[in-house]
Amino acid sequence: MSTVLEVQGLSVAFGGIRAVDGVSFSAKRHAITTVIGPNGAGKSTLFNLISGLIRPHNGQVTLDGVDRTGASPHLMQRAGLGRSFQITNLFFELTVLENLRLAAQRLENVSRFLLPVKSSKEAFRRVDELVERFQLGSKLGELAGALSHGEQRRLEIAVALAAKPSILLLDEPTQGMSHADTADSAELIKSLAKDVTILLIEHDIGVVMDISDHIVVMHQGRKLTEGAPSVVRNDPAVKSAYFGDA
Amino acid sequence: MRDSANIMKTETATDRLGLAMRASHVLVAVFVVAALAFAAIGSWSGDTFFLRLATEALIFAGFALSVDILLGYTGLLSLGQALYFGLGAYVSAVVLKEVPSFWAAMGAALVSALVIGFVTGLVANRVRGVYFALVTFGLAQVAAKAVYNTRSLGASDGLIGVPIVPIDIGVTTVMSNSPVGFFLFTLAFIVVLYAICAYLLDTPFGRVLVALRANEARVPFLGYSTRHARLAAYVLAAVIATLSGALYPMLRGFVSPELLFFSTSGNAVITVVLGGVGTLVGALYGGVILTILKSVVGSMTEHHLIVIGLLFMGTVIFLPKGLMGFVRPRVERLISGKSK
Amino acid sequence: MTAFLDYFQFVLAPQMITGLSLGVAVVLVALGLTIIFGLLDVINMSHGEFYAVGAYLALSLGLSGVSFWLLLFIVPLAMVPVGYMVERGLIQRVFNKPDRHVTTLLLTFGLGLVMEEVLKVVFGPNTQRPPTPISGAMDLFGVILPNYRAFLIVVGLVIIGLVAIVLNKTRLGAVVRAAAFDRNMAASLGVPVTRVYALTFAFGVALAGLAGVLLAPVFSVFPTMGRDFVFLAFTVVIVGGMGSIAGTVVAGLLLTQVQAISSLIVSPVWSDPIVFGIMVLMLVIRPQGLFGRLGHA
Repeated sequence: MSTVLEVQGLSVAFGGIRAVDGVSFSAKRHAITTVIGPNGAGKSTLFNLISGLIRPHNGQVTLDGVDRTGASPHLMQRAGLGRSFQITNLFFELTVLENLRLAAQRLENVSRFLLPVKSSKEAFRRVDELVERFQLGSKLGELAGALSHGEQRRLEIAVALAAKPSILLLDEPTQGMSHADTADSAELIKSLAKDVTILLIEHDIGVVMDISDHIVVMHQGRKLTEGAPSVVRNDPAVKSAYFGDA
Repeated sequence: MRDSANIMKTETATDRLGLAMRASHVLVAVFVVAALAFAAIGSWSGDTFFLRLATEALIFAGFALSVDILLGYTGLLSLGQALYFGLGAYVSAVVLKEVPSFWAAMGAALVSALVIGFVTGLVANRVRGVYFALVTFGLAQVAAKAVYNTRSLGASDGLIGVPIVPIDIGVTTVMSNSPVGFFLFTLAFIVVLYAICAYLLDTPFGRVLVALRANEARVPFLGYSTRHARLAAYVLAAVIATLSGALYPMLRGFVSPELLFFSTSGNAVITVVLGGVGTLVGALYGGVILTILKSVVGSMTEHHLIVIGLLFMGTVIFLPKGLMGFVRPRVERLISGKSK
Repeated sequence: MTAFLDYFQFVLAPQMITGLSLGVAVVLVALGLTIIFGLLDVINMSHGEFYAVGAYLALSLGLSGVSFWLLLFIVPLAMVPVGYMVERGLIQRVFNKPDRHVTTLLLTFGLGLVMEEVLKVVFGPNTQRPPTPISGAMDLFGVILPNYRAFLIVVGLVIIGLVAIVLNKTRLGAVVRAAAFDRNMAASLGVPVTRVYALTFAFGVALAGLAGVLLAPVFSVFPTMGRDFVFLAFTVVIVGGMGSIAGTVVAGLLLTQVQAISSLIVSPVWSDPIVFGIMVLMLVIRPQGLFGRLGHA
């Protein structure tokens, strides 16, 4: 199936404010779909709705052809969704190794759930892959909380990717990063798209234009427009949403 | 791609949780050796009082283990764990008075722990933090009052006349009234409880519990229901507490509602904090420390609870990781130094 | 019909009044608790012991001749510096640690333990009872109402009203609520946050002490009185909603009525489990309690 995630008419309101209002779009396999929009557009709320943290009042979320509307976060994870957070949400007191192993442990057979961790070869193999890809080898024994901000953001993505999800939701992965780190992360995300579908929230327009295959623009809870980067970039409605009417 | 031998070496070297656990094992071994020495002296000098006191300390240390599972691993403070200790004690006493069989008493205690722990856990685990502490506190209070007012359970006097129990462990039979014998048996029993907990914490299941304490919010995104995880931990803790409690009437020959009172739960919390939250072995050392404090300071002054309370507060402020939190890292360094 | 009226006059109403006088005192204690939690985010497990200290101070000072009316002012005032020092010296030390909730819980639990033991040491383990300051009773539509109880109820309601007004309608209250809502913001606006926190805690425990003074003649004084009472106070706070004054008042008055009336219907042994059952029910159905919170996120 070429569409991994389909969102239809998704809505939720908090005390009269429509945080997300009838948003519909789909994310195609192995594509990078980016959600952009000015602050308060409802992007993170959209992610929370898709990943199961919040229950929508209306609408549908379909993942890999199966209706997953309203499924709780742990069920969404099991359905194949991986998610990183805008505010780093790692296990800070645990080592980088343990963070990755924990996230990868789902790959192991259920029968191993009560067997010693040392014997989970699958999980450790995956950790090795991730360590290489994300260049965390020298930091394995460090506590996640001791890493630099850029390293932590990288680990965030690695942890979200660990259990081999079909779709990876990245919430402002380059948030707070230096210019160099941002560029590296953009390259990294581009390379990830070969194996996993990516849905991205991003503020850095340079990154957005560089890596996105498809852009969804949100404004005040609604979808303003969507399309290829070149199209969206020149859309006057998008410009006025960001900069206000001249 | 590195070969599997290299993978395992890196993982072992950087797996801090595993290292911490191994340090705990070393400390338990030290504890056991010291206990054996104590038993030898006690046996040689024909003492019964101190051996029985030490046995009681071990029983309460096992109980403290259950508090550590909740507090140290899932981050939940239970102020009513005495509910299960008392449950185990009363079930054991009732069964033993009918059938003086160790296994029957333990079996009944285990089943009651699973049932009551599951049902109560469903209620208690709907909340966290201080609400959880208060709900567990309330449950224990309600149970204590109920038992206190139930004539068939002896009401305020409790149940006396629990018979001496022969414990057949294959190679030999230990009599529950034998000071040395029962002390050694209880030591082994508590070490087994510790081993079960330590083992479980080194499994994917146990690591989810550790993750709960580290960052509960992220756990669902690992693919695990926090509710299920907390309930499982709660039931495990209930079982540990109940089994420990089941030993009590075997040692003392009676049970009373005091076992369900808040002071029992409170003492377990103090034990764990003094010994070291989240180390498991801290419960053992903490139990010994508390018993020594109570007896030694208690013989000097009536107001030993004040000293203990102040020591407790001091630990919370200045040594939040407890005694083991202080000692264990040094042991960790010793072990990992050796393996280089 | 007359049977019911008789029942009402001689059994139900007196019971309800007893419940109401207890309720007013419970609300005072619970108010302190909810203010401390709602504004400081601190769970004070030693709160009951401050209630006990108030009662014991009233007892001992009263025995040495201090008039009851003076005690109503002196005792809470005396507790302010104590509460201030506890907050500054103990609680502030652990306040900025990551697992603050558990740590303050443990710390105040330990403090309560020590306080209870000290009371036992100083005053002895036996129950004592200060004399009732206002004797006699009045006849209110055929219901006998002890004068002291009436006084309790009136004074209690007045104090509750004053607290609510100060917190919600005065500048002082606004400062406290601001400091609670956003510590850093308040600090940068020039609010002496550490001092505000310490004073708020002191105020909360002073309320508990005052309740102790008021209730001592009614319920007697014994070293473990704090622990028994604090559970009821926490239940009130949970049912009413942590941090909500209105919730505390409503829940406090309601729960004590439930307790009072239920002990007429079933054996008094059941009144605690019933109240506890209500707390559990509330936690399960509506964990935030009846009403919303005061300024804390």
